[in-house]
Amino acid sequence: MATTTSNTTSICGATLSRRQFVKTGGALVVGVTLVGSKLLAANPVAGAPFKNTLDPTLPNSWIEIHPDSTVLIRTGKSDFGQGTTFTAYRQIVADELGVPFEAITTVIAGDTDRTPDGSGAFDFLGRGTPNIRKAAAYTYQALLDLASERLGVPKDQLTGNDGVVSGGGKTISYGDLVKDQQLKLTIPVRGDLTSIFGLTVDGNPPMKPVSEYKFIGKSMPNSIIVSKVTAKEVWATDVRLPGMLHGRAVHPKTLGSTLISAGQLDKKQFPNSQVVVKGNLVGVVAPTEWEAIQASQQLAATTKWSDWKGLPGSAKLHDYLRKESDWTSAPVQKSHESKGDVSPALASAHKKLSATYQFSYMKHAPIGPTMALADVQSDGTVHIHTHNQNPQALRGEIATMLGTTPDHVIVHTHPGAGHYGRSNGGNAGAEDEAVILSQAVGKPVRVQWMRAEDLQWSTQSSAAIADVEIALDENGKISAYQVDHYMPAMQDDRPIGAVLAGLPTMPAPEVVSKSVTSTVNGLSDPWLYQQIPNVAELGHGTFQVGQKTSPLAVGLRDHSMRTPGQFQQNYPRELAISEAAALAGVDALQFRLDHAKEERAIAVLKAVRDASGWDARPSPRPDAKSTGASPVRGRGVSLMFRSGTYWACVCQIAVTPSTGAIVVEKYAIAVDPGIVVNPAQLKRQVEGGAVMGISHALYEEAMFDESGITSRDWNTYPIAKMTDTPEIKVVLINNPKVGAYGGGSEAANALAAPAIAAALHDATGKVLRRLPLKRAYVQALLKA
Amino acid sequence: MVKITVNGVQHTVQAPADTPLLYVLRNNLQLTGPQFGCGLAQCGACSVLLDGKEVRSCVTPLSTVGNQEITTLEGLPARWAKLKGLSADDARTVLHPVQQAWIAEQTPLCGFCQNGMMIVATQLLENNPNPTDLQIKAAFTTSGPSPHLCRCGSYTAIMDAVKHAASLMGKGQ
Repeated sequence: MATTTSNTTSICGATLSRRQFVKTGGALVVGVTLVGSKLLAANPVAGAPFKNTLDPTLPNSWIEIHPDSTVLIRTGKSDFGQGTTFTAYRQIVADELGVPFEAITTVIAGDTDRTPDGSGAFDFLGRGTPNIRKAAAYTYQALLDLASERLGVPKDQLTGNDGVVSGGGKTISYGDLVKDQQLKLTIPVRGDLTSIFGLTVDGNPPMKPVSEYKFIGKSMPNSIIVSKVTAKEVWATDVRLPGMLHGRAVHPKTLGSTLISAGQLDKKQFPNSQVVVKGNLVGVVAPTEWEAIQASQQLAATTKWSDWKGLPGSAKLHDYLRKESDWTSAPVQKSHESKGDVSPALASAHKKLSATYQFSYMKHAPIGPTMALADVQSDGTVHIHTHNQNPQALRGEIATMLGTTPDHVIVHTHPGAGHYGRSNGGNAGAEDEAVILSQAVGKPVRVQWMRAEDLQWSTQSSAAIADVEIALDENGKISAYQVDHYMPAMQDDRPIGAVLAGLPTMPAPEVVSKSVTSTVNGLSDPWLYQQIPNVAELGHGTFQVGQKTSPLAVGLRDHSMRTPGQFQQNYPRELAISEAAALAGVDALQFRLDHAKEERAIAVLKAVRDASGWDARPSPRPDAKSTGASPVRGRGVSLMFRSGTYWACVCQIAVTPSTGAIVVEKYAIAVDPGIVVNPAQLKRQVEGGAVMGISHALYEEAMFDESGITSRDWNTYPIAKMTDTPEIKVVLINNPKVGAYGGGSEAANALAAPAIAAALHDATGKVLRRLPLKRAYVQALLKA
Repeated sequence: MVKITVNGVQHTVQAPADTPLLYVLRNNLQLTGPQFGCGLAQCGACSVLLDGKEVRSCVTPLSTVGNQEITTLEGLPARWAKLKGLSADDARTVLHPVQQAWIAEQTPLCGFCQNGMMIVATQLLENNPNPTDLQIKAAFTTSGPSPHLCRCGSYTAIMDAVKHAASLMGKGQ
């Protein structure tokens, strides 16, 4: 197509360039310009940082407006069941851009060659939305500029609504504005595409005021649900490539075993199977899945590994953390909210609580084990089809493993089983193994981990201990709060197959790290009791358990999981606050109100108090009982601030002392995320998080012996069932004056544990300071 | 070579007789509604109906299926159409009330387990048009070889959807 004219305009720090076409067609497309990126330092005017990445200086990046006024949006964030990219992102773009929700007909998410910004599917609304929202805001300004020129009306007299710019008695549709032209808006961006946080859109384009929102605040349906419910969705598990083989890995006998000899396959039984050995990675590929499974079982039975016993075993875990772990190498962290001097207040306390809280390893435990389909082609191009939270980071890791550049790696993302943070740093387990096997056999290979592998060879949510001291004054108020949090490094993003195969990876967690894989334990539970005069919150970090002694440098690899790090810190704080209220002889919810200061924290506490029918009284209840076969009832409360959102929950439980069984009967939760973008979707997320929280609180503990994880299925790693679901009451507090969208998926899963533990104390008069509140542990506590 | 009938269509399958039905459905017949969750009959992600009764396809050997009629998630609309005696045209456009309800209640979170949940709901509602909360909980927890597990915790949404579906089926929709 020949062009007739071209020019550029500066818009709020973005640049609009135009070329008018002779022929029909055209679009306004929003690209990105990298500001201060290390990637572009050598060549600041270069285009895309990598081949197969959307070129930041070329058009097809964030948003396209088409001549028929339909809109396409792209985001690097993959959906993990939050539905945010299909609901909130469309609502936010529709409002910023001034188009109908339905006009956004296409959402492209995740794929590394088709989306611009990278990063993970965490904090969708807090950290995620500013990118797409700003891109839309820049685009809106560009549309007004274009319309001003076309209509001959000053820009400040124009507004865009329902896909039409109007003002000065004139109108023009967005489609007509872009028709017959190639318009390219270039916006400023900074960051590194394949890092965990990806790119960030820069600058401050004017945003729509809340009063002009039309779609934000409405319960728009999640468009992907239809295809999932009607079996029309292509899940990652469903992708097949021509000539594809099925692969299975045979993982080492222990988390520190090295290969002595790979086993043999009976060629008569498995004529088409092929064994692949690379370092300590043993695998098998076969034309059919059933043959691959059976062959891997035979291979596993005949493969010999060295032995290793370098773990403490779950029964001794917390003693080990206390006595054996090195807490001196990582600098101690102190929270910004720490203030005053706790020592004199603790020394002169009228009453004092000194308690240690123990947090177990938990598994992400996706309902479908990790899988990936990789195709390493003869020209060095690698395609990976998988379900991944951070495809750009995976791309970087695979490139590192293969000694190539990310140019050669394309990650295609598809829906899959949610895995709650496991792949936010790039991998969930099977991806690199699929690449290694595909490279070895020269064909596409689909690696599907089995259930036991997914529990035993994946990362886990880190264990922790916390020592809390609380001083009460004569008035029963807290005069000092001190906590020492101890937690091993909580993020190990090394792909396990690459580690086993001896291929290059990022380093294991260390004190000083360029990424988030440091052993330093920062404070991540924002303080909410500002009326306490003396506060000391300290974080102590160390290496992962077994990391230093495992010949594989593996050990118990940790990884962030829903509410990562904060769960480990909020649980001890909230249970200790409830215990301190009991020590003071006052109501636990009122006690929180008396020590909180922030209006929104106070509001969620009052909302959950009212929703739960909370009766103010001290704990334990007057008729608390720790014996007998009849259930006794109790209730507890918890409070949290995370990702811009205030949360409070109340759990009412029945516990049977003779068996130790806890049933959560009622669960009320109040949520203030600032602006509620989509009430119906938020409610479903909160309900789901509530149930997951009950699951964490009552059941979840990754069991391990001296050699590795022994939880291997849903019987040995039980999670909540439908019969564990209480009556759930969700109170959503829309708080537009906040002017921001807080997160709504994480946090809910962490609130139940301290509330249920406090309820157990309320019901029985005894405190269990160790999670989970398993039947056997509760029974032992009550018998003691 | 084994003959099986899935969603009203007879197929001749080239697979060893001990192959779990799940892999036959997914890999030989491209019926990918049922998902691999555990391979141990412990979660329900792979469920299908065998003569109207929920089974875990991950532990059901191909050889044991015989003449029994298999219904997968893909076959739910036709199953409903047959039950209601709908015309061939209607049968192509209709969704099973269970699927309609799952959409109306926005039930799935990640959705990976929901195949099995919808299969159980179908069996339940075909046998008990107006289940109580306790009966719903029993159907999803104690009726089969294991509880049907949802890691995202969508149980409240599933219960809402089962009741919604019961209401739609009661109205013949």
